[in-house]
Amino acid sequence: MKLLDKYNRVILITTVVVMVITGVIYYGAISWILTNQVDKDLVVEENEVFDYVKLNHHLPQVFDSDDQQISFYPKPPGSVARQFINTAYYNTHDKGYESGRGIISSVTVNGKYYKILVVESKVETEELIRIIFIITIIVILLLLGTLLVTNRLILNRLWQPFYNIMKELRLFNLADNTDLQNIDTNTEEFKELNTAVINMTSRVKHDYKNLKLFTENASHELLTPIAVINSKLDTLIQTEHFTDRQSKLLNDLYGAAGRLNRLNQSLLLLVKIENKLEHNNESIDLRVVLEEMMVHFEEIFQDKKLNLSCTLGDKEIYGSRYLVDVLLNNLISNAIRHNYSGGNVNINLSASRLVVSNTGDNNALPVEDIFKRFHKSSGSEGTGLGLTISRQICENLGFELNYDFVPPDHIFTVLL
Amino acid sequence: MQKNLLKILIIEDEQGLRESIEEYFTEAGNICETASDYSTALSKVNLYRYDCILLDITLPGGSGIELLRVIKDKNYTDGILIISAKNSLDDKLEGLELGADDYLVKPFHLSELKARVMAIIRRKSYNGSNLLNFNEIKIDLLGKDVQIGTSHVKLTRKEYALLLYFIANKNKVVSKNAIAEHLWGDGADMADNFDFIYSHIKNLRKKLVEAGGKDYIQAAYGMGYKFTDA
Repeated sequence: MKLLDKYNRVILITTVVVMVITGVIYYGAISWILTNQVDKDLVVEENEVFDYVKLNHHLPQVFDSDDQQISFYPKPPGSVARQFINTAYYNTHDKGYESGRGIISSVTVNGKYYKILVVESKVETEELIRIIFIITIIVILLLLGTLLVTNRLILNRLWQPFYNIMKELRLFNLADNTDLQNIDTNTEEFKELNTAVINMTSRVKHDYKNLKLFTENASHELLTPIAVINSKLDTLIQTEHFTDRQSKLLNDLYGAAGRLNRLNQSLLLLVKIENKLEHNNESIDLRVVLEEMMVHFEEIFQDKKLNLSCTLGDKEIYGSRYLVDVLLNNLISNAIRHNYSGGNVNINLSASRLVVSNTGDNNALPVEDIFKRFHKSSGSEGTGLGLTISRQICENLGFELNYDFVPPDHIFTVLL
Repeated sequence: MQKNLLKILIIEDEQGLRESIEEYFTEAGNICETASDYSTALSKVNLYRYDCILLDITLPGGSGIELLRVIKDKNYTDGILIISAKNSLDDKLEGLELGADDYLVKPFHLSELKARVMAIIRRKSYNGSNLLNFNEIKIDLLGKDVQIGTSHVKLTRKEYALLLYFIANKNKVVSKNAIAEHLWGDGADMADNFDFIYSHIKNLRKKLVEAGGKDYIQAAYGMGYKFTDA
């Protein structure tokens, strides 16, 4: 639910409730005032009767009037209590009953006790109330309508800075070097929000940068000990005479040192790509690069008895040759590594895409996970960074890397 | 060419690495000198000429790049191989532009280092004549042609690279990891087991022997191979 709708709903409900309540109060007040007015008239009439009786010592003559009727009834003394009543008024003109207001009083004339009933028509009063009420309702409805419309217009404009900030945030990319734009607004709240958002993002960026720097430094520092381990191993195997057990141990050490080295190199590479440190862009003929790579891996294809089929069209791209090499190397070596003896590898290059597909395990890979760092299939000798690096490189070059499984082929597609 | 004595200067501040390199290169008559900081390196470079200088970029007291400038300014013809922990293309390009002969990123296998150094020395000392002889094996480096006696040995690209690698590292045990990395570079980890290195080596041996050469390649404890005429 949008803020505007929410706001409108609240406004609508409260306005209606307040309207109903005020309507009731208003109605009550007006009818009370008007009834009071009528009552005063009745009292005036009553007093006139009293005055007349005092002066003339007999009851006044009763005239028919359009809006007032007076009648006298003889009653036992003291039996009538003075009171105002709501009663029916017989309109002689319209020959019908309408609502009326009356006063019951008493008077003693020449020792005789009479009940006085003065009834006045309330039609005009009620008419008045109705008109006032209708006008009030119209005014309130009008007010409500204008409120809704102006709310929509004003709120949309008022919230514009907010939407602008949202847009900035949506476009925010941690790895980007651009900072958030300062949104132009004179609303205090949005100014604060903007400042907070800018502060937060720059802090996050700063932390991220530190983290990257840490990774980079750590990897650099690791290089030297790894180099020493490597060289010492190379030196160690020059000292003759190893037992089978010793050479097995040394082999394992070599393997581990090699993996450590590859892992470290991959981390360094990842940092480098994320920092966009490769600037040596040139135009690259992908077909030539792929053909060279095929020759390079020729023996491995033969050795694993893989059937390689290549359909290479011409495609030239612009980017870092080094990164392109790493990308292609990763994709092709994955296709080889996760294959079985006698399996297939297809490489297809067209103007719009590069597709590397291979047979292998009969289950699809988890798409969400394979591009994450350190995700790897069980038993894989890889670093678990290959596809992460590949995707980063693709992003860096403005390509898109996707995975599909169409049994029996695992398909990696680079949209060029 | 291996009869020539090699004179090599190792400029590297990490003691463990320096000693390993020194030990690996010191063999029958080769002279290895070492320097662990900028000023020692500078004085040695100013005093003596070397066949090849192994130059680390980050040194206490100065930068290897500075040292490289000094060497090139004085028109010394020493072969220069930069060994650096910085795998940055800019550094590499700068080094090569300044006149270094090659650039090797740490960590590396000593056999790889040796092969690179031998390649530099070969290029320096046999200007033009690109023939490499090892006993009865004659290699034309330009034509990539291997000859034993009068018969040409037809080697695949990888077998040829392997042979050069072995000759550069003769009498040394070369590990299978080092071989895989030399032949396939970044793709080396695909050789999850090194069985197929074995098949390449088997083919190479067969071809050399069939052409009338001696069998120089020995398996070494299941860890690697040794090319030896002993």
